[in-house]
Amino acid sequence: MFRNYLLTAWKVFMRRKLFTAINLLCIVLTLVVLMVITALLQNTFYPTGVEGKSDRFVQMVMVQSSHTDKGAMRRGTLGYKLIKQYLKPLKNAELVSITSSVPSTVSVYQDSQVSSLDMRLTDAEYWKILDFTVRQGRVINADDVEQGRMVAVLNESTARKLFPGQPYLGQKFSANGQIFTVIGVVQDEMHMNAYADIWTPISAQPSSDYKNNLFGQFGALMMASTPEQLPALRREIVEVAKTVQYDDPTAFNVTKFWGDSKLQLFSRMLLSSEEEDGSVGKLVAGIVVLMLLFMALPALNLINLNVGRIMERSGEIGVRKAFGATSRQLVAQLVLENVLLCLIGGAIGLVLAAGVLWWLENSGLIPYLRVHLNLAVFGYGLLITLVFGVLSGVIPAWKMSRLDPVHALKGAA
Amino acid sequence: MLRHLLKLIWKRKSRNMMLSLEILLAFLVVFAIAAFGLRYWQLYQLPTGHAWRNQWSVAIRPAQDIANDAATYDSLKRALLDLPEVESVAFSKFGTYEMSRSTEEYTLPDGSQELIIDGISVSDDYFKTMEMTPASGHWFSKADDGGDVTPVVINRRLADKFFPGKEAVGQLYITQTRGKSTPERFRVAAVVEQFRSHGEFMDPVYFMLPRYVPGVGKEAAYAITLKLKPGTPRAFEARLNAKLKQVRSDWNYLITTQSDARASMLRMQMIPLIILGVIAAFLLVMVAFGLFGVLWQNTTQRIPEIGLRRALGASANHIYQQIVAEQLLLSTGAMLVALVLLVQLPLTGVFGDSLNWKVFATATLLSASVIYLLSLLCSLYPGWRAARLSPTQALHYE
Repeated sequence: MFRNYLLTAWKVFMRRKLFTAINLLCIVLTLVVLMVITALLQNTFYPTGVEGKSDRFVQMVMVQSSHTDKGAMRRGTLGYKLIKQYLKPLKNAELVSITSSVPSTVSVYQDSQVSSLDMRLTDAEYWKILDFTVRQGRVINADDVEQGRMVAVLNESTARKLFPGQPYLGQKFSANGQIFTVIGVVQDEMHMNAYADIWTPISAQPSSDYKNNLFGQFGALMMASTPEQLPALRREIVEVAKTVQYDDPTAFNVTKFWGDSKLQLFSRMLLSSEEEDGSVGKLVAGIVVLMLLFMALPALNLINLNVGRIMERSGEIGVRKAFGATSRQLVAQLVLENVLLCLIGGAIGLVLAAGVLWWLENSGLIPYLRVHLNLAVFGYGLLITLVFGVLSGVIPAWKMSRLDPVHALKGAA
Repeated sequence: MLRHLLKLIWKRKSRNMMLSLEILLAFLVVFAIAAFGLRYWQLYQLPTGHAWRNQWSVAIRPAQDIANDAATYDSLKRALLDLPEVESVAFSKFGTYEMSRSTEEYTLPDGSQELIIDGISVSDDYFKTMEMTPASGHWFSKADDGGDVTPVVINRRLADKFFPGKEAVGQLYITQTRGKSTPERFRVAAVVEQFRSHGEFMDPVYFMLPRYVPGVGKEAAYAITLKLKPGTPRAFEARLNAKLKQVRSDWNYLITTQSDARASMLRMQMIPLIILGVIAAFLLVMVAFGLFGVLWQNTTQRIPEIGLRRALGASANHIYQQIVAEQLLLSTGAMLVALVLLVQLPLTGVFGDSLNWKVFATATLLSASVIYLLSLLCSLYPGWRAARLSPTQALHYE
């Protein structure tokens, strides 16, 4: 039976090649856009590569302080002391890293050129949590941080830009009025925690005042030893927030912070959420609704095209009805036909989406972007295709199944 | 003729409804992007109220909060004016063409007219540095030292709101404290026509520039604005940085020219428009294909009907006109429904001044022409194909 459906579908597609082509084009265009978006989202929130251990660590870039008696509230980045005192001793965390919440822009002055680059302060744990691909030399270690050595790790693009045609290691450059020596070169990365052009030890600053502040410009990465331990770690973080003591208890006395996965962090920032899970449900629902809205116009388009084709097939439908096919069977057949076309479109779309992503990576629109197409993206692509196929196939199929066999046989629908 | 066409459309209402719905959605998409683009165009025409060509900004990035100390700012200013390229130096809480924004609530001295106003505190030389001109009144200066009322420069929009029909200069207003503490008082020193700190694409808001005096008040200034001699090369940045480091070596300075900051600000504000434009283009291409396909199918099905008309003496041109006119009529109907929905937006004012009547009308005109053009293009070939058939062929068509 199934084979018969497939054969019929194939015959129908081939009979009207132009329409099949138009149908397919609409499907492919829609699916390419949706797949590119999905791949970018997947790459951002569930990355592989440098932040591949994302299922084991959580990040924190923000602490919320308020006072029980006053209305004042402060939401801002964390200070070194806060992380050192409250987050470093976490029992469920294997490693805790302190790093700039956002890389700060610095100007590097060379003889005739000024380069504006993003610099990130890191400790040694940072390099253990994230898996950078080291091209040359070494990364920053605990000794560098302890001694406050003026050393720096560059990414490939920056090294090429600053020292074209020269060996990179051992070069010196000046940033923020300090002289740094290049000790390593790593691969370019564009991810939430990994992004930077220059990495330097956290202690390589003109003064060590940063160590005494509860509020500062830092964020924390906290890694559990296994993904299963992550929920326990997240609970522990919420508990620890209750024990924070301020230098001036009259200004603030209540603290809230959360260890978030990337998706949670994003939705917490976007929705200013105070929920433990960062209101991820709302965000995901929002994304799904937006995608369905985007699909509405192409789906309507496909419905219009498909409805037209039913009329041509009224003879066939009349015969099938006369021989006792139920409406449900006919609906199943037409939806199947549509889904089949969508699957073909999906396959072409996937190839084109890979091409678009490749173009996006090379165009430099988003610096250092590298999207890894993995099985999950493929799965989401398939899901989107099926949803789209059913969405655009049901109405024409339902209309078709309602045809009166007598009229249908006469071809006068 | 029109009645006849309408009757024909009504006969095929269920099919035409789906088609109309598609055109309606396409119209909404085109309208959205047209309105967005037109509003940007409108904003771009407005003056920003400040210059950017010879202005440079220095953002101070200290390791921790800096104290508002008059001596430090004085030595910064003197060091900078030592450089022959520097014509004028001013301090402010933050700079123009930055994402920063600071708002607070204010009222008139009698507590009426609550307003949320954007503000940047600036030093006396700011206006000279930014090449601003007052519409009325005079810039604040040293003469205002020691008063308990903060002199402030406000924009025309705020002046018209707070003091309608009155001369705004010399008027007072205060911070909204709801009686919990003594409010800070402000006296209008001058009015400027326009001030938009985020630049060309910023919506005009109520704006005030209160006086900042180094060493007075708790908050320090984190931005230095410089006016340089025209034609100063970019390489000056290195010397400027060295000079600043001589004053405070433990601070980091982020130096940008206002023309660079402006360019990146404009680029960033254009991103949503570009993304929307790409998506809209995708959708329109799809709608064009779909419309073309549907019209082709429709005319193919109606060939016997067309044959009959030809046999009864209609010329090929008449058939052609009928197909195109039917399609345009259908598009008109769909767009009228869409307009009934869309007109609610400016009527209820959900988008405020962003979707004013001028933008609405122009966007309607623009998007209607796009949809008409699309309908016309998509019906040309099917129409021509139907008109080409001879009556005998058409009547026998199976």
